[in-house]
Amino acid sequence: MRYGKLAPWLFITPTVLGLVFFRIGPIIAAFLASFTSWNVFSPPQWIGASNYVELFNSGTFWMILRNTLVFSLIYVLGVMVCGLFLAILVNNRIRAITFFRGLYYLPVITSTVAIGVVWSWILSPRFGVLPNVLADLGVHNLPSFLGDSRYALLTLVVVYIWKMSGYHMILFLAGLQNIPEEYYEAAKIDGATRWQSLRHITLPLLSSTTFFIGIIALIQSLQSFDITMAMTEGGPNYASATLSFFTYINAFVHFRMGYASAMSFVLLVIVGIITFINFYARKYWVETVD
Amino acid sequence: MKTYGKIALYILLIFVGSLTVFPFLWMVATSFKTMGEVFRIPPSFTSSTLFTERMWDNYRVVLYEHSFLRYVLNSVIVAGSAALGQLFTCSLGGFAFARMKFRGKNIVFGTLLATMMIPVEVTIIPEYLMMLNLGWYNTYFPLIVPSMLVGSFGTFLFRGFFENIPSSIEEAAFIDGANPWQMFYKVFFPNAKPVSASLIIIAFMNNWNDLLRPVIYLESNRLYTATMGLMQFKGAYGAQWHLLLAASVVSVIPLIIVYISLQKYFVSGMLTSGSKG
Amino acid sequence: MKRNLVIALLATLLVASLSAFAMAEQVTLRYFMWDPEFQQMEAELIRGFEAENPNIKVEMTALDPTNFWPRLAAMAAAGELPDVFSMSTGYIDTWARDGLLLNIQHLVDRDLDLDNYFYNVFAEDRFPNKETSDMYAIPYAWVGSVLFYNQDMFDAAGLEYPNDDWTWDDFQKAALALTIQSNPNRAPEQYGFWWYGRYSHVEPWVYANGGRILNENKTRIAIDDKAKEALQFLADLTNVHGVSMAHRDMAGMRQQDLFPLQQAAMWVDGSWMVDHVRTVAGDSFRWGIANVPKGPSLEPGEERSYYWPDSVGIAATTKHEDEAWAFIQYLIGANRPVETYMPGKVPIYRDIAYSEEWLQKDQQPGNMELILALGDTPVRTTFNMGWSEWRGYASTGGAGMNGELDAVTNGQQTVEEAIEKITRDGNAVLERYYPEP
Repeated sequence: MRYGKLAPWLFITPTVLGLVFFRIGPIIAAFLASFTSWNVFSPPQWIGASNYVELFNSGTFWMILRNTLVFSLIYVLGVMVCGLFLAILVNNRIRAITFFRGLYYLPVITSTVAIGVVWSWILSPRFGVLPNVLADLGVHNLPSFLGDSRYALLTLVVVYIWKMSGYHMILFLAGLQNIPEEYYEAAKIDGATRWQSLRHITLPLLSSTTFFIGIIALIQSLQSFDITMAMTEGGPNYASATLSFFTYINAFVHFRMGYASAMSFVLLVIVGIITFINFYARKYWVETVD
Repeated sequence: MKTYGKIALYILLIFVGSLTVFPFLWMVATSFKTMGEVFRIPPSFTSSTLFTERMWDNYRVVLYEHSFLRYVLNSVIVAGSAALGQLFTCSLGGFAFARMKFRGKNIVFGTLLATMMIPVEVTIIPEYLMMLNLGWYNTYFPLIVPSMLVGSFGTFLFRGFFENIPSSIEEAAFIDGANPWQMFYKVFFPNAKPVSASLIIIAFMNNWNDLLRPVIYLESNRLYTATMGLMQFKGAYGAQWHLLLAASVVSVIPLIIVYISLQKYFVSGMLTSGSKG
Repeated sequence: MKRNLVIALLATLLVASLSAFAMAEQVTLRYFMWDPEFQQMEAELIRGFEAENPNIKVEMTALDPTNFWPRLAAMAAAGELPDVFSMSTGYIDTWARDGLLLNIQHLVDRDLDLDNYFYNVFAEDRFPNKETSDMYAIPYAWVGSVLFYNQDMFDAAGLEYPNDDWTWDDFQKAALALTIQSNPNRAPEQYGFWWYGRYSHVEPWVYANGGRILNENKTRIAIDDKAKEALQFLADLTNVHGVSMAHRDMAGMRQQDLFPLQQAAMWVDGSWMVDHVRTVAGDSFRWGIANVPKGPSLEPGEERSYYWPDSVGIAATTKHEDEAWAFIQYLIGANRPVETYMPGKVPIYRDIAYSEEWLQKDQQPGNMELILALGDTPVRTTFNMGWSEWRGYASTGGAGMNGELDAVTNGQQTVEEAIEKITRDGNAVLERYYPEP
């Protein structure tokens, strides 16, 4: 209690103000909307839990929920491994490292339109670079990575991971800065290999960053939207659609705001539980300095 | 042996770089093409305009006929103030959540995280009606103020960082008679340079890329942001891809500048254990 | 003295009322349109209108459709719709039902000489009955569906160009002859035809066979035998004859590029694609347009063409009805410059459509008048409330009826299975909008 009772609240005043006025208000409105039939342009009509009932009876919703969970799992793992790999790679003080740090960040800021077109050209069955190169090597009848319902979702995850690894590289890089160099020097003197320092110094000391990135990547995976829109539009037949895409479609294409809201609150409950478990499990694997 | 290691490292760096850079190069290459050349098959990297006087035509159209520079400047103002605001509020909040004990801490923090999981599509209409009542329609306030006040990501980021600072530092400062503000401003915040850099890079980019809010809130053309400006090259039946990509290249430049100028704070081993860095 | 006072009073009153009158005269209209590509041209159009009507100022906002609708919906929720805005055939019934659009029938009756317009297509803007009800928006242009064909490929195969006597059999034979596959293990180098589940690819064939996808009231999916025959014909083109690409094999390409990039010799889509083909193909090959061949089951008197309007509407909440209508009359009228129409989109005003400048005989295709003729045939469409949801359109193009038909071209299901799912899922959507069939 050395900081007193008032100081904490003064420190979080802007956050609390913002939360109350700009986040919680609209979210309560959205929650109420989930019990209405509301096409946005006309007043909502109270319909009780009908939206939720419709959701749970909808085969499409369950399929998209499953897609979302598969997508999130692969995305979170993929982006963490790739992000950490990039961060370690550029956490060096050699010549031109700034240049490479810039290079790896480029996919994050390249326009999704360009990304969508380039990846489509790489993968397109008829003109794609990949199928044509493989055909020259004698591999024919490759599946359609984007057009086949079995592969479309997986292909999208790979592209998302490719795009967002640079983003998580930055976060890991900031985390790596906090590991005192003398630890590595001591390990070197003891004759530890690179792998051993990674395993016994970097990873444990990075665990709180890793925890943070895991949660952020999870939330990010739930917001996956732009590349889906640019590359598959959720198709074929919703095979590559995730809930954020489906929410958007229902909110602003079909104008079923109540239904879209119900969907977001179902998702909130699921993700909330996962996050809560994560926080609870935190003390078993995240090491703190004290 | 050391040189071999270095060469191997560079080969690896270049290999990974070639995987990440290609679409960006394609974006730049396409920005010089003519409308007809954009979807040629097989795709070609070069275009007929290269090194002729028509090379910069797309950029000329984008910058002069569509006042795209104005939009970019607007975005710099919006994203810049939101990012700096977040640096302030998130570092304060993160510090409180990391080092202070108070009633309701977990509830506030949990709410902060949970609100991040509700997609903006379902909250934007109530938010819009509220902003209209505040008289904030067709101003930058709806784009800046909420983002500035509350940044879940940034608060979480700073919280994680401040939690990891050894309490020995804190003890020493308390003995010296530091008050909470001095503790934050003089002891903790100066150590947070890499985290601050990543927050600004990411907050700037997130605000830069926001499209739904500018579309909903801005009506006057002179207020348009860069992402909205990009939409001017989309039509009901497709897009003017050559112009769209030229404009994309222009609108990426500020992001690169912010990134490059801040990445110098990622210097290995800045913090040493037990004492201030 | 007293008289002076009266005069002064009267003068003040006069000045006051005059200035009030002048103030009321100066009106600013808010206009939202959904094609930023034509923003500069429309800005000129507006300048022309403002010159003719010095008391009206028009403020235009252009957003592409993906941003236009969320924005417009938000404004409607706040009761602040712009005075005049673009209206889609897919949304017009819902917006008219909810009382957001001004009933403009009395204005149309009062001011328009219908003979000057392609008025058949006005039907799409009526609500609730497409033949007898009042209009809630008005078309400024319309588009029809045509068969695009690659003349160079026809010449190379020694075939005659498509004509109005073509049967589906003739079409199929031509498509087979135009498909070139040198290695039976690899995909054909050139396809005779290109279709997938898209509305403007499928409906033209259904209607050319006298078929129906919806019931009489357009409230339920009811795919009849003639429609089924058309769908089976299309499915066989892909799965049995191999003259069209499976949908999954075109992933990563834009559907509208297959024809202009000479991957397919024939293609049925909306006439606005004329502009796209000109842009992408340039002078690389010769091409033309023809009518969609009539189906084997089409009976006399059943002929329906698939064409639909681009419309503008007035908000029910507008305070400037007269000025908004004056602006709309300008947008649909004789003075609108022909350059403000995308090539292939037909101006609603006949004289502009039949002008040399619109027909553009010096450019491909040389027979644009073929599109115009559609405008005087009876019209049929599938647009109703919930259309984009059950049909699968734009950003949901992979779903709905579109998605089910794509799965047919991929060989994942039969036409019967697809029809069953389209009917079941589509009617679940339509029951929400039309509790009574």
